[in-house]
Amino acid sequence: MGDRLVPAALNRRDFLFGSGMGLGAVALSSLLAEEAQAGVLSPRPQHIPAKAKRCIFLLMEGGPSHIDTFDPKPKLADLHMTRFQKERNKFEANMNTGERYYVRSPFTFQRAGKMGIEINSLFREFSGVVDDVCFYRGLKAESVNHPTALYHLNTGNQFGGDPAVGAWSAYGLGTENQNLPAFVVLPDVAYPQGGSANWSNGYLPAHYQGTPLRPEGTPILDMRPPAGVTTERQRANLDLLSKLNAIHKAQHPEHEELAARLESYELAFRMQAEMPGVVDLSKEPAKTLEMYGIGGGEKDVDALGRRCLLARRLVQAGVRFVQVIAMGWDSHDYIEKAHGTRIQVMDRPVAALLKDLKRTGLLDETLVVWAGEFGRSPDNGIRRGGQAWGRDHNANAMTVWLAGGGVKAGHIIGATDETGGAAVEAVHPLKDLHVTLLHLLGLDDNKLRYLHAGREKQLSQTGGALIRELLRA
Amino acid sequence: MMMTLLPAEPEHLFTDVVQPALKKDCEGCHGTGQVLANLDLRTREGLLKGGMRGPAITPGKAEASLLYKAIAGIGDVQMPPGGPAKRLPAATIAAVKDWINAGAPWTTAASRKAWDYKPEDLWAFRPLRKPPIPPQGAPNPIDAFLNARLREKGLKAAGIANRETLMRRASIDLTGLPPTPEETAAFVNDKAPDAYARLIDRLLESPRYGERWGRHWLDVARYADTGGYSNDFERPNAWRYRDYVIRAFNNDKPYDQFIREQIAGDEIDPRNPENLIAVGFLRAGPWEHTAMSVEAVTRQLFLDDVTNSVGVTFLGLTLGCARCHDHKFDPIPTKDYYGVQAIFATTEFARRPVEFLAAENVRDIPAERAYMKAVLEDNKRSMDSFDIRVRENVMRKHGVSRVEELPKGVLQAALREKEGIRPDEFEQFKLYQKHQQIYRESQDRYEARAFSVSSGPLDGYTDGGQNVKYPQAAQYKPPVVHVLPGGNIQSPAEAVTPSFVSAVTRYSGLPEPALPQSVAGRRKALADWIADPRNPLTARIMVNRIWQYHFGKGIAADTSNFGKMGHKPSHPELLDYLAATFIEKGWSVKAMHRMMMLSDAYQRASTPADAGLKTKDPENALLSYYPPRRVEAEVLRDSILAVAGELSPEAGGPGVYPQINDDVMKQPRHAMGSLQPLYQASPLKRQRNRRTVYAFQQRSLIDPMVEVFNGPTLDLSCERREASTVPTQAFALFNGQFVHDMALAMAARLEKEGGALPAQVERAFRLAFNRKPGAEELQMALQHIQKQTEYHRKTPPPSKSKPEQIVHTIVSELTGEKSQFVQKQDTRPYEANLHPSDVAPGTRALADFALVLLNANEFVYVY
Repeated sequence: MGDRLVPAALNRRDFLFGSGMGLGAVALSSLLAEEAQAGVLSPRPQHIPAKAKRCIFLLMEGGPSHIDTFDPKPKLADLHMTRFQKERNKFEANMNTGERYYVRSPFTFQRAGKMGIEINSLFREFSGVVDDVCFYRGLKAESVNHPTALYHLNTGNQFGGDPAVGAWSAYGLGTENQNLPAFVVLPDVAYPQGGSANWSNGYLPAHYQGTPLRPEGTPILDMRPPAGVTTERQRANLDLLSKLNAIHKAQHPEHEELAARLESYELAFRMQAEMPGVVDLSKEPAKTLEMYGIGGGEKDVDALGRRCLLARRLVQAGVRFVQVIAMGWDSHDYIEKAHGTRIQVMDRPVAALLKDLKRTGLLDETLVVWAGEFGRSPDNGIRRGGQAWGRDHNANAMTVWLAGGGVKAGHIIGATDETGGAAVEAVHPLKDLHVTLLHLLGLDDNKLRYLHAGREKQLSQTGGALIRELLRA
Repeated sequence: MMMTLLPAEPEHLFTDVVQPALKKDCEGCHGTGQVLANLDLRTREGLLKGGMRGPAITPGKAEASLLYKAIAGIGDVQMPPGGPAKRLPAATIAAVKDWINAGAPWTTAASRKAWDYKPEDLWAFRPLRKPPIPPQGAPNPIDAFLNARLREKGLKAAGIANRETLMRRASIDLTGLPPTPEETAAFVNDKAPDAYARLIDRLLESPRYGERWGRHWLDVARYADTGGYSNDFERPNAWRYRDYVIRAFNNDKPYDQFIREQIAGDEIDPRNPENLIAVGFLRAGPWEHTAMSVEAVTRQLFLDDVTNSVGVTFLGLTLGCARCHDHKFDPIPTKDYYGVQAIFATTEFARRPVEFLAAENVRDIPAERAYMKAVLEDNKRSMDSFDIRVRENVMRKHGVSRVEELPKGVLQAALREKEGIRPDEFEQFKLYQKHQQIYRESQDRYEARAFSVSSGPLDGYTDGGQNVKYPQAAQYKPPVVHVLPGGNIQSPAEAVTPSFVSAVTRYSGLPEPALPQSVAGRRKALADWIADPRNPLTARIMVNRIWQYHFGKGIAADTSNFGKMGHKPSHPELLDYLAATFIEKGWSVKAMHRMMMLSDAYQRASTPADAGLKTKDPENALLSYYPPRRVEAEVLRDSILAVAGELSPEAGGPGVYPQINDDVMKQPRHAMGSLQPLYQASPLKRQRNRRTVYAFQQRSLIDPMVEVFNGPTLDLSCERREASTVPTQAFALFNGQFVHDMALAMAARLEKEGGALPAQVERAFRLAFNRKPGAEELQMALQHIQKQTEYHRKTPPPSKSKPEQIVHTIVSELTGEKSQFVQKQDTRPYEANLHPSDVAPGTRALADFALVLLNANEFVYVY
């Protein structure tokens, strides 16, 4: 795959196709048409045949507790409030040491699906779709600190600044709709810890950067002009700009970047016209809205429902990678209330997303991933009173789940120990999950490289292994 | 190339020459077939053990080694048998001699797989020698080198650019700002033969020069004003390093001194305040330690960052690759990486007292300090209100009227637990608590301290946050650094002592001075070694960077990587000539600017003269014409401010807060466990309209306009700005409020300065494009303004928006529910920008025209 090793300076091609988001229109110009095949965002063949062509990544920010969601530990009921001392150790954070208590899960569990997986009883809707899901309990992260763990999950590197999984996917596969960004992020009410570096293009060209769509107001920054600027006024200004640029270009015929920059303005205004249609959920049938919990009176369910439905619309419109962020899982205290609320908020929208993808026939070709930056500990330091227990961070155990194209649905892979403290079966480091995600999208992590600062870099940093157990035969 | 060829490095000698000869000519009798004389030549051990006559080799001493003597025909054993006719080729004999003298290193298939570099990849490690200037030269040696290559290719160079073009090119290159029409007129009308040389001198003397070139250095130095990660706390005095860099460029500080100060200023002379500020470089990378992080891990993060940053910045070496394994592409073993790291093992964070310097801008400090104090107190009151309520609750519960009457310990427990405070209210409390922490950090920016380091902990001034346990200086022992296979701190391998990059010594012959094992002095030794004129990398890296910023691309295109994976230089002799000259001229950066900018190559027109260029040199590697390029994000913003007449020339001091996109300003942003305070633009124009280099660089909140125009990532060293064109740039520049505001300001300026409308249009062209409009352009502009005036007469301007409450929502850690807060806002009067409703329809129409100019290709490219 030597041809993927595009040097950092793309020069002419880069400049020409920097405007790649509008290749359909750019192709009107014969100068550009000749190179259209090589556009930075035009669709590219997969490295390996794979079913999934796009990905929806549901990022549960804060670190959901596997013990209280998808991996119950009855043993903790016996150990509940058993006190023990965890020595301060060079490789433990202050938070996790000192006087500790095991704490039981405050939740009840139900058996769901044909496989009979035990999941939190609050999952009323999600319990109906578990047979489409592959639960994985063998993953280990490394960091117990939110921003570094989030960077690790999203970019493969605990140190911010590397390209996100979505950026790598767009780089590897291009995108199917040139009028929309290839990689879209749907943030929660606040940006996550570590900020926009979580969807950075890193050292990849800027075209692969995640575009956050804003939940309110203009979906893309400055997509609309300031108050008082009408389309008529804007168009008049744009026309003068085109004329001045044309005169200038005639004096610099050799300077090819000029055409691309000219075109990028036209493209921006096509995007300005098209994007509102894509993000407008009002045309969706009432039944669909209801299925996602939109307009059902629960504000948080409504908001996440909107993001999940928008995710479906975006992948349907040809966006390659959509990341939906749902925050608030960092339950150090009052886990019964805190996790209880989060589970109920997540339940309907996420179940609806899977049902909807299946209904529309998209699920076979869409990979859905649900993951937080780490799992939670079976024990707690009890910081706010006897009944207010929660759980601290735990990089040694977590549950992530996958659904859709190429995934071994209806299975539980791997296991944690009897308290949920550490993964003990089918154990893999986080980078192996990255290798597996790329594989499911038809990309080979070892081939998907980019030369930067003298090194061919890749998502897994130094190469990883496929988690074969997660793949459908 | 004019360099003397050093003997190939011994490992290659072994693989390429010695081992094949041993296999072909020796092992038949001494190894694979039989083991005559009990001598087995198949392994290094076999050679060392030797046979009946003793060891076959004595590493380091070829003359005493039987193997060498036998094949060279010295002494009584001669091999292979059969007399001089059977003797091995002279080159092989010489190779065996060199190899033994080099210690007889032995490689295996596995170890060879680890390297993937060839002798020609090592050009940057070879000693620097000044090559002769090619004959039939030009007055400027640069042209002599470049023209020689153009002649070779039969390429015709473009002529010299016109005066207006040159003026804009040189101004933007050296100051980052477009020239004023008056400056241009003066230069165009200056008929003296040295007019251009004087122009360059004048620009080099401008204080704007250091702001421009300091910014280049800050890119490489991964500079920011905050620590990144969860809290992204302010680094209160980090701005002093930024100003130090700008001063260094303005004063043309010799580059070797600049290196020494940044790596080891505190060790060299701690009494020099500049030195204590300069070492801020070492800790400019993102770093944070909280209760949730592991001390050993965060310390290692710092060590990895500083090792890699020093390598990339000063040596152009990606040492980071050797963190986990021996470098595949460059001759850098993992041991070297940790050896360099050991130099920093005793480097500790310190916020050292350093009086403000006369050169530092402390003008706003008293007012800002007072304001921040008020903010802090106001926030404290909000925070304390919760405790007041807890007291009331507890007293009511216990039926007492004074806290003194409460049972012992009850109040303390209640305060700790915030008894009676609802979880959503508790989130509000946490917000105030977090802001208290943030504001307290910010207060420190007004203290006369430097964001600095020390060798070993400095009692009283250490600086790693409340969760870092510093040892007392008296009990301090230098930590031992271990090789960490795979970069994993939990499985340390062998201990290493401080060392330099061995390949530099091996290929350049630069002697390695002794590296102290003591607490202090390690960095000084490293700085001296890097700044040694014989270090082959240092000068090459720097002149190549300077070249890149003038010509768009380095002579070696990867300015921070001179290893195998970097591009080979297009003009290696020129690079060496410049590097050697740089050192000769006392490491003067300004001397390099003069030399480069006075060359014909720099002054060429940007239109190619040769029709055959597309086939002969499609990438313009030979520079037959000047390569146009898009300006960087900061130049774009500063230029907009300048032509609008709004640029504040004030220099230096704590970072200011420019006007940024409103949605981003209002975007809630995480701070560990809560939210950051609101971003707010500086209230006064003279503050917020300062040059972008003086903007507060917050890692978690980059000005979206800078970001979209390929601004640097603040977390990693940025060696070269990208210039990709994406539609979101059009959104920022054509729709953004800031640009609209500046277009209106420019319109008002034109009306004030320019007489009748045609004169105003001409003035606008001169300001934005540095030339007068053509007849057609003038006509178009006038028609447009006419048309837009009619439009604006019919269309009333929007009314001014009223200040609004900013309500932020956070999902509670405690309950998973959302809580809302009203974020506090700056209470100082805001000096507003001109608003459309302040002006007549004609001015608004002129602003439409100005907006178009600010968006034009001619404005964003340099020719």
